[in-house]
Amino acid sequence: MKINISRHQVYILLMTLLMLLFVLLFSFLLLIPEGQDYRVKRKESRKAALEYNKYKAFHDQTLEKLKELQSKNRNIITAFERPFSKERFEKQNRVHFSSLAISKIDRAKDEDGFAVYEVNTTSHISSPVNFYDFLDGLNKGDWIIGVNFPIKFVREGEMIRSSFTMKVYENNADKNSTASASSAK
Amino acid sequence: MRYSYIKPRKKTPFTPDVVLIVIFFSITIIMLVSTYLFLLYKDYSFENERENLIQNRLALEQNIEKMERQIHYIQKQQSVAQRVFTQNMVLKDSITNLFDLVPQRITLSRADLLKKGLILYGVTPSKDVYNFMLQAPLRSIFQKSYTSFYPAGNGWLNFVSTNYIVNDDSGELDSED
Repeated sequence: MKINISRHQVYILLMTLLMLLFVLLFSFLLLIPEGQDYRVKRKESRKAALEYNKYKAFHDQTLEKLKELQSKNRNIITAFERPFSKERFEKQNRVHFSSLAISKIDRAKDEDGFAVYEVNTTSHISSPVNFYDFLDGLNKGDWIIGVNFPIKFVREGEMIRSSFTMKVYENNADKNSTASASSAK
Repeated sequence: MRYSYIKPRKKTPFTPDVVLIVIFFSITIIMLVSTYLFLLYKDYSFENERENLIQNRLALEQNIEKMERQIHYIQKQQSVAQRVFTQNMVLKDSITNLFDLVPQRITLSRADLLKKGLILYGVTPSKDVYNFMLQAPLRSIFQKSYTSFYPAGNGWLNFVSTNYIVNDDSGELDSED
């Protein structure tokens, strides 16, 4: 039996085989590994997106909590940031006293990481009620101030001379670096 | 001299069969290459996206840490402020109670409020008035109470009443005066 194949047919067969070989090599050496890589990277990317979304949700939750705290405690935050001013304090509280004198401002030992200043105060009041009003006013004032023992009341004619120590609390610039940041938002 | 009656046809390697095969393989190769290029682009894009997400996540992490520090700090400020405010109110109540404690017939000339004590100076018409009207309530508040009397000149008596709360644990008077 004689197989009669023309040269042209051989040429077509060879070309077809070459192209098929190219397709197979291309597929197995490049396309399929790249496809596998694509699947791995897609999975990693989805995982990263999921993780990011979790962090974002927690971030938003924390931000909301922070903003709520800041808005609820705005006065307290501002009071801790404001440096104590003797003149301003006297001006604000003179209404409760016939006379008010702040004699000394000393830095005391830090409390809970806050700077504490001790202020000696001498005043004249006509009635203890003035002192009660002063204590009420302190809690709504511009600073965080606690009246400290000892407190002395001495009768001087129709007036009462009171002398006491106050503790003024401020942000400690050395330790609390977040203090300024808390108000920045 | 002519050997044929027909005109010779131009011979070409691109016979219809070859053209068909070339078209078929060209389309196949174009599809494969475009798929490969698409995958390359998507790989690059996923990698880019992942890196961006990681960077953003790290930024969020830092931000969360910073916010948590701020929250903690504000809570600390809140707690200190509340403590100071409560202390002021307790002090106010203590002073109110003290002045309510002093009866009309006894006049105070000086009151020293200490952290764990109270020293009162004043005048009383008699020892009995003092003992019944001021000493008794003071004894119910303070564990240690001492009073000394000396004549005032107009028949009344000056008194100095020293009162202390004794701490069980320390047993010491914590006077700042």
